[in-house]
Amino acid sequence: MKKVSLLALPLLLCCSSNKNYAQAVVALVDVSGTYADQKPEVVNVIKTGILPKMQPGDSLFVIRIDDESYKKANLEGGMTLDVRPSKANAQKLAFATQLDQFATKHERSRHTDIRGAMMLGAEYLKETGAGQSTIVVFSDLEEDLPKGVKRTLAPDEFAGMRILAMNVKKLNADNANPSAYRARLASWQQQFKSHGAKEFQVVLAADKLDELLEH
Amino acid sequence: MESLYLWPARPAASLLALWLLSQLFCWAARAPVHRAFRSLGRVLAGAFRIIARWCRSVSVSVAKRDREMVLEMGKGDAESKVAREFHRVEVSFSKELGRYPEMHRKMDDLIARLDGDYKECGSSAPTPPGWAEATAAVAKMPANVDNVVKKVLEEIHSSAKSGEKKALQEYREATAKRHKILGGMAPMWKELKQLAGDAGKSVAAAVETTKRIDAHMTTYEQIRKAEDKAVRAMGWQSTQLFVASLLVLGVAIGGAFVNFNLIALPMSELVPAGSRIGGMPVSTVAALVVVLMEVAAGIFAMEMLGITSFFPKLDLLPASRRRIILAVSLGGLLMLACIECSLAILREQLVDSATALKQSLAGIHTKAVADPAASRIPVVGQAVLGFILPWILAMVAVPLETLIATGGHIFLTLTAGILAVVGTVARLLANGARYLVEGLRHLYDIYIVIPLQIERLATGGGQRAGSPVKQGARP
Repeated sequence: MKKVSLLALPLLLCCSSNKNYAQAVVALVDVSGTYADQKPEVVNVIKTGILPKMQPGDSLFVIRIDDESYKKANLEGGMTLDVRPSKANAQKLAFATQLDQFATKHERSRHTDIRGAMMLGAEYLKETGAGQSTIVVFSDLEEDLPKGVKRTLAPDEFAGMRILAMNVKKLNADNANPSAYRARLASWQQQFKSHGAKEFQVVLAADKLDELLEH
Repeated sequence: MESLYLWPARPAASLLALWLLSQLFCWAARAPVHRAFRSLGRVLAGAFRIIARWCRSVSVSVAKRDREMVLEMGKGDAESKVAREFHRVEVSFSKELGRYPEMHRKMDDLIARLDGDYKECGSSAPTPPGWAEATAAVAKMPANVDNVVKKVLEEIHSSAKSGEKKALQEYREATAKRHKILGGMAPMWKELKQLAGDAGKSVAAAVETTKRIDAHMTTYEQIRKAEDKAVRAMGWQSTQLFVASLLVLGVAIGGAFVNFNLIALPMSELVPAGSRIGGMPVSTVAALVVVLMEVAAGIFAMEMLGITSFFPKLDLLPASRRRIILAVSLGGLLMLACIECSLAILREQLVDSATALKQSLAGIHTKAVADPAASRIPVVGQAVLGFILPWILAMVAVPLETLIATGGHIFLTLTAGILAVVGTVARLLANGARYLVEGLRHLYDIYIVIPLQIERLATGGGQRAGSPVKQGARP
């Protein structure tokens, strides 16, 4: 009997996985220029598309993209859900209220520091140690850094992360010349991939986001 | 192809030259090629025949093993049936024979009382001898005598009449008394009849049991003699049992699936949701373990009740210990049923909470949406289901034991059947390979028919020297 127990113990230990199956998501919300008008819609997408997909143990952070986004103050809210579903539901409800408050705030920045927000988001993601890390960018992806602001990404800045560009608003120039829009997206893709991103994908429909965050 | 042309500019001439060369080569190589074909045919047919023979022998030995197993199973079954009937007979006889002296004494008592009553019925006061006749004679004397005589005669007549009346009265009283005694005997007769009826029933039951034992013994004899009829009957019975237990197990697995789904979600409230075992969330594994524990507790309970016998060691335990294990198993089942019941209620709450959250996040006010789950019926239904399912799952031990017991026969039968089919196919392939190779040899000869005909003409129509095979001979 002892022998059987001794054999069973390592077997059970082998089976129990150390892999972290939790998911961490960072939503970057652009509040600069014309994209600031999209904020209520973006908050609605986060509430209906991302928040319900979060499972107990998952983490969600919302970061604002403005003039200088690499600031702790740009973190609009963040949470790691409790392992108990009942508590997790309560946390989600509280976070939704927080997001509603963020949506009602009238703010519009002159510049767009996308990379700063992404660097901040990547740091939060790395801290969670989640098995699957995703950055969802709600922006027109037109970066416009203020003078004196430098953003240099580390080679492994987005190592193992998935970056989803959601609700990318097309600028007037993009309508006139779609190639410019496509070139901008391609440039971002190249930049993310070269800094370790696992995947870069442009998501047009909110339903697609649901599928991508399924785990 | 073109690289083979001798004269690339003249393909027709090149092809003709190649054909002529091939004819010459094939004609020259005819004998060794025929030998090669013959060897190939032998090898292929031999290999297939070996496979067929092996399959057949293994199939026969498997069928023999199956037959032995079925016989052993049948023998054990018949022995247990006979033992059970003997046990019943023993119990019945010890009970009935224990009652027999009492019944016998009761019957003796009743018969003695009946005899006494009968005798009492027969006893009555004797009438004085001749007195009645004398009185009658005097009374019949003529009345034309003197007054004194007449008066005397009248007196005698009246006294005779009164005497007769009195005698009739006494007779009636005696008859009534006898009737009363006889009436008192009726319950005793009934009691006697009932006792005789009881004895008759016991005897009929004993005769019935004897007939059953006879039938079992006949079957047992047939099994002992290893009669084909008995083996077939037992094999068919095993198959029936296997199919029935498979169906019941299928239903039980369905129940286990429902049970699992009922507790998997609320289990995440009890165990950490983040960690996983083998890629599965711990809550799911925990729910699975609970279901399996219910099955295990059920198996032990059934074992202790003597319904199944998975573990022979447990049969040897004293009755007190068996009772303890039974109590622990049933207690465990009750606890698990209660846990499941509470988890089912928790599940409903979680589902409600999740629905409310989704509605809230989507901006739908709960009051605006009709709430069909407002009644307590789903909660009560889930709770009852959560309580009942473990007990139903506990019953799975019975079909499981039958499935395991009869599974061996099914496996061996299937194996023997498959091997027999493979053997037959291999035999067919052996024959097919032999004739295929012979056909190829004939095709070879057809290809070089022109040089062969020339040779025949040159040799005067005789058999070619060194021909590898005779006409019509097998390769």
